[in-house]
Amino acid sequence: MEIIQVVGIGILSTVLILVLKEQKPMFAFLLATATGILIFLFLIGKIGTILGTLERVAESSGMEMIYIKTVFKIIGISYIAEFGAQIVRDAGQESIASKIELAGKVLIMVLAVPIISIIIETVMKLLPA
Amino acid sequence: MSWLSGWLHELILVVLMAAFVEMLLPSKSMERYARLVLSLLVLLTMLNPIVSMLKGDASKELSLAMEQQERNGGLLSGAGDGADSLEKILADGRMLAEGARDQSLKLAAEEIAGQMRDQIAGSTGIRGVNVTVKLGMGPNPSAPLGEDVPLISSVTVDLPAAGAVAASGSPGSGTGSPPAANPASGPIRITPVEPVQVSLDNDGAASEGSDASAGVSPSSAAGNGAQEAPADAEAESIIKLLEQNWNLDPDLINVLSGGANAVKS
Repeated sequence: MEIIQVVGIGILSTVLILVLKEQKPMFAFLLATATGILIFLFLIGKIGTILGTLERVAESSGMEMIYIKTVFKIIGISYIAEFGAQIVRDAGQESIASKIELAGKVLIMVLAVPIISIIIETVMKLLPA
Repeated sequence: MSWLSGWLHELILVVLMAAFVEMLLPSKSMERYARLVLSLLVLLTMLNPIVSMLKGDASKELSLAMEQQERNGGLLSGAGDGADSLEKILADGRMLAEGARDQSLKLAAEEIAGQMRDQIAGSTGIRGVNVTVKLGMGPNPSAPLGEDVPLISSVTVDLPAAGAVAASGSPGSGTGSPPAANPASGPIRITPVEPVQVSLDNDGAASEGSDASAGVSPSSAAGNGAQEAPADAEAESIIKLLEQNWNLDPDLINVLSGGANAVKS
């Protein structure tokens, strides 16, 4: 029944933020950020369970750990970038939010560089000289 | 056929994992990029036998490339440039080496001070001498172009209190020291024989004492001068001893009497 807790926290904080926004917009923003962090922390344990299961399955089936590590890095980067961008977007700074997302995208692409280089080297070796 | 089953095994697992992770992603904006990396991983898994045939183990190659990238770029840790980190490592190494050198100099200085103390006690008979040796790095006098060697930069010999010096006798009294040095330079002395104890301060204390108690002052002044001469002679003999034994410049040796004033330096 965790979803009821999450929805409850969300609705409660939304009402409070709507009330606060008229008087003190700054506190409304802080409340929104705190609620976001609370829900994120609530979910982090669940994400950890999923990733732990994935890791255990991959380990037991003899999959290479470097693949798993790469995939986990992708998930981490995208979650952190998305969370930060949403907080900034809530405060009304759309341009900074898009910059944070851009940084997340670039960092994910950087992860692809070693894989691409290995594939390209292999293909070049396959081609006749 | 075992390699084929292993390859299929791995391929299926990677595809399943990619599908699962794609659902786990938080937003649509990141999905395209994450999908690209995941599809590259699937492609690498498919090419795994060919890569292994041409270059060796694919996963080892990948982990090596990842490690190198992290070391060079500091992707997630923000470690900075490779050159910067190398300089930092070198600076840390220099700092550690200097720390080790300082520590060894300190140990050597303590050892030398102990030996000097033993020599002074053996030749002059003075016990309880406090010797402080300071070492510094300098060019080797016998080979000026060689690397720096530790040299003794100063020696401070702290003689024990005046009573002990006077009681220990003066084996080096024939060195021609000037008799009765300035009495004002002596520390506070208490004459043990007199029933009335008289203390003399540093500056002009002798004249004040003679004004206040005329009966006591001549004997105390004379006692002062008599104690000063042996202390000076002690200092001379200690300096000569250290100069001969350790091949030191006499200017580097500083003898303090009673832990307060410099008798001879």
